[in-house]
Order: sequence, then structure tokens, then C-alpha cells
Amino acid sequence: MVALGLAVAGVLLFVVGLVARSAGAVGLGLAVIGADYAVLFIAEGGALDRFTPAYAAGFMLVAELGFWSIESRIPAWSDPAVPEWRLARLVGACIGAAALAALTLVAGAAATGTGGLAVESLGVVAALGALVLITVLVGRRSVDTH
Amino acid sequence: MTGVATAKLHVYILLAGLGLLGALAFGRPELAALAAPFALFAGLGLASMSAVEIRAVSEVDLERQLEERHVTLQMEVAANRAVDHLELVLDLDDGLVPEAPNPILIHLSRGERRELEVPIRCAHWGTYEIGNVVWRVRDPFGLFVYEGKLPARHRLKVYPHGETLQRLLRPLETQAFSGNQVARNRGEGIEFADLRPFTYGDRVRRVNWRATARRGEPWVNETHPERNSDIVIFLDTFAEARRPDLGTLDISVRAAASLAALYLREKDRVGLVAFGGVLNWLTVTSGTTQLYRIVDSLLDAEILLSYAWKDLDVIPPRTLPPRALVFAFSPLLDERAIGALLDLRARGFDLAVIELSPYSFVPEGDSEFGQLAYRLWRLQRDALRTKYASLGVPIVEWREGVPMEAVVEEVRAFRRHARVVRA
Repeated sequence: MVALGLAVAGVLLFVVGLVARSAGAVGLGLAVIGADYAVLFIAEGGALDRFTPAYAAGFMLVAELGFWSIESRIPAWSDPAVPEWRLARLVGACIGAAALAALTLVAGAAATGTGGLAVESLGVVAALGALVLITVLVGRRSVDTH
Repeated sequence: MTGVATAKLHVYILLAGLGLLGALAFGRPELAALAAPFALFAGLGLASMSAVEIRAVSEVDLERQLEERHVTLQMEVAANRAVDHLELVLDLDDGLVPEAPNPILIHLSRGERRELEVPIRCAHWGTYEIGNVVWRVRDPFGLFVYEGKLPARHRLKVYPHGETLQRLLRPLETQAFSGNQVARNRGEGIEFADLRPFTYGDRVRRVNWRATARRGEPWVNETHPERNSDIVIFLDTFAEARRPDLGTLDISVRAAASLAALYLREKDRVGLVAFGGVLNWLTVTSGTTQLYRIVDSLLDAEILLSYAWKDLDVIPPRTLPPRALVFAFSPLLDERAIGALLDLRARGFDLAVIELSPYSFVPEGDSEFGQLAYRLWRLQRDALRTKYASLGVPIVEWREGVPMEAVVEEVRAFRRHARVVRA
């Protein structure tokens, strides 16, 4: 029931984000859908999910399409090459996501039980580092590239 | 150049962080596998972030053009690196209309120079800066946006289109210089005026032999000399009635430019007085250079709100030469302009007032009071018109859609039947 509730909430948030063109709502929707995936594992446990690479590719596709649809734009005549390049990149991103997820899954499965406190601490630091990075980026808003 | 991080970057890093934390917390590598692509995507985006510089070289085929005609802006756009998503907006003023897609979204490969040609319709007279381009670039991952502006480099003057006129309105009196207008007085000229007896000093070629034979004594022809005239175009720039596409000032500027061109072609001397918040004047002179001076001055004509009381005394005396025909274009909405025109008449100037009718710009009110006020306003304007007419000033209401030819003809008809009243 929790998983179903999270799934519905995630999809609803995502749709609201698309309608309201809100990146925050889209991101929150994606996070809730991701959380739903985690809850399913906690509830069911068991072996590794062989379909994770496909899920990762699908998740990336949904995220990319979602942000594509809400990005700020002006009604403009478009060079035919622009959407072609973009679609090619999207396909590449999804294939890359699937491959990377498969690699991560294999590496994760191989490392299960061999990590120890040091490796787990490193993982926590890496994850927290990612969160700190986003906080810094949100605080700066713009990045001078000179 | 400043790149701005998009919300997508924040979200992707957040998703990656949450996924990795979840994988650690629950001991599930699937969550790490789900999060890893987002982490990699954000990492690649941050690593590939580099300055974008867009360069554009533009050229306009003409510096001057008439209303409703076209100029072409040619642009060559290049970037310092490959750009997948470049939005270009040609920022044009209201009087210019692009006739090619604007804005546009293009792709630029490394080292590519894209040539763009934008035909622009000159919809309204004025002086414009052309070639202002605003651009926006998204990085290949959509994580950063770069924006910039390329300044305008060209100046375009759009001249008002001409009104056609078969016959010009002639002043009551001509000037001393020779021109194309037949003077009322007699002198050396071509146009026959009268016959008179021969007097000492008359040239033999002036003798009318037929009249001499009939009368038995020498008679000579008298002629009207061809003289030029002085025309002063008086533009009321205190107030105007307007709607988004058209205003009374637009009509008067177009008419003034046409009249100036036509009178100057007839070798007359033409001057300009833009009487309003800012006083602008040109003394009467003839020639093509004067036409450009007048038109350039008309392009600067605008309504500037001013509470300062102004009368004819602020106009330099040489601007209004004696015996000049003053062609006044006014919507008669401002007391200062109305007073100045009455003052001109009182000073004995040959004055013709073209009242630019504001009725089509001012809608009648819906309420009873609104309609009553509208009717009263119209009555007041009728009374004002009668006042001008009673002073011998030809005043013609120029309604929207009526050609200038008809308006000038109406002034001519008035002058045929009216008498000049000297104040």
C-alpha cells in the first residue's frame, strides 16, 4: 500500500510539475518515484533485480523528457538539426544510463559483504558531498565561466 | 560570459545523492545503479562547462528607406565552440517588422559560420537602430544556460511615404526670387497680364503689334513674373490623438514630408516649425538638401508632455518670413497650439489650418454621460472651427482615410471665396 501510495504521489507530483512548468515539482516527483522503487526492495527483499538497467534507462528518459518539456523557451523557427541532435543525445543518455546501471549493479553485487566500515564511510561521504555540491550551486545560482 | 546553472542540474545532483544514500542505508546496489547515471550526467556537465562566445557580423543593404518598403539584414553568426542549441532573437523596434522567422533556433558545428538573411519591412517612419541580437545557448547536457546580447551597429532612417498631390496650394503673395509661381503683380515674365500704351523705356519685343495696328499708337504687353514663394510647415507637437497603429502626428508628419518635397520641387523655399514640448525649427530655404533636413527633422518629431506656456514669441523671427504661407497641421487639442495659430493670423500671415480629426481615435462613451460629454466636445470643436473661419483662416478637417488631395482642394475652395482679413 505504501509503495502504491508513493507511486501515485510521485506520478501526480511529476504531472503537476509538467503542467505548472515547475522544475522543483518535477524533481520531487522523480525523487518520490525513486523512493517508491526503494520501498519495493525493502518490502520484498530478495535477490538482485535484473531489470534495474532498464529501469535506470527509463528513469533517465522520463527525467530528460520532463525537463525538456518545461525548459524556458521562446516560440521560434527551429533548425531541423536541433531536435535531431537532441533526440540523438537522449537516446545516447538512455543507453549510457542502462550500461552504467548494469556496471554499477555488477560491481555492487561483487562488493556485497566485502566493503567494511571504511568503504561504507567513503560512500556516505560521497553522497553527502553530492548534497553539499547542490547546496553550493543553488546558493550561487550563476557560475562565472571566465 | 556568464553561464547560469539550470534547475535540472540541481535536481540531478539531488537524485544522485539521495540514491547513493539510499543504497548505503538499505544495502541495495539497485538504488546506486539507479542514481549513478544522474551522478555521471551532472559530473560530465560540470566538467564540460566552458565559456561560450557568440559573434555576429551584420550588414544592412540600405541606410534610408521609405515606409512600407523593405531592407535586408544579413548576419553571419559564429561561435567559439560547437553549439547544439542557439536561440537568436533579432530585437527590432516597433516600427520594423521582420519578414523571416524571428526568433530562430539553430545548431552550430565547430568552426561553422551561419549566414542568415532577414528581410525587414519598414512599417513606420522613424530612426531606428538595427542589428541588436539577443542570444541564448544551452550546453549539450541542458545543465547550463548562457545568454548574451550583441549590440546594434546600424542606423536606419525610415522616411514617411509620400502623399500624391496634383496641384499645390499657392500663397497669396510671392517672394522676390524667381520660381515657378505666377505672381499677382506685373513685371518681366511669360504669362500675359494686360495691355497698356507704350511708354519710354519699354522694349520693342514687348510691343503688341496687333493692338498697335488696331489703335494707331504703340501698345505693349504686360506680363506676370514667375516668382517663388515661402512655405512654412507648422506642426503641432503639443498633443496628439492616437491608437496603437496610428496617430494624428503620424498623419501630419507624412503630409508635411510630402508637401515639403512637392514645394521644393517647384523651387519654393520651405521651412519647418515643430511647435510643442520641444520647439524645433528650420528657416526657409530651397533645394534638395533642405528636403533632407526637413525630413530628418520630422523623424525626430515626437509628443513631449510639457506644462510650460508657449506662444509665438518663442519662435525665432526669421523662421516665419513675411508673406509666407503657413501650412499648419494640428489636431487642435492643445490650447497653446490653438492660441499660436490665432496669433499667426492676427499677425497677418497667410495661414491654412489642416485640422487632423481626432474623432476616429476617440471612441464615444458607452454611458449616457459619456455620450453627452462626447457631443459637447464635438460642439466645442465646431465652435472653434467657426472661429477660425470667421477670421478668414481656411480650416479643413482631415478625417482618416481621406486623401490629402481632397483636403488641399477644400482649402483652395475656401480661399477662392473668402477674403483675407487683416488684423
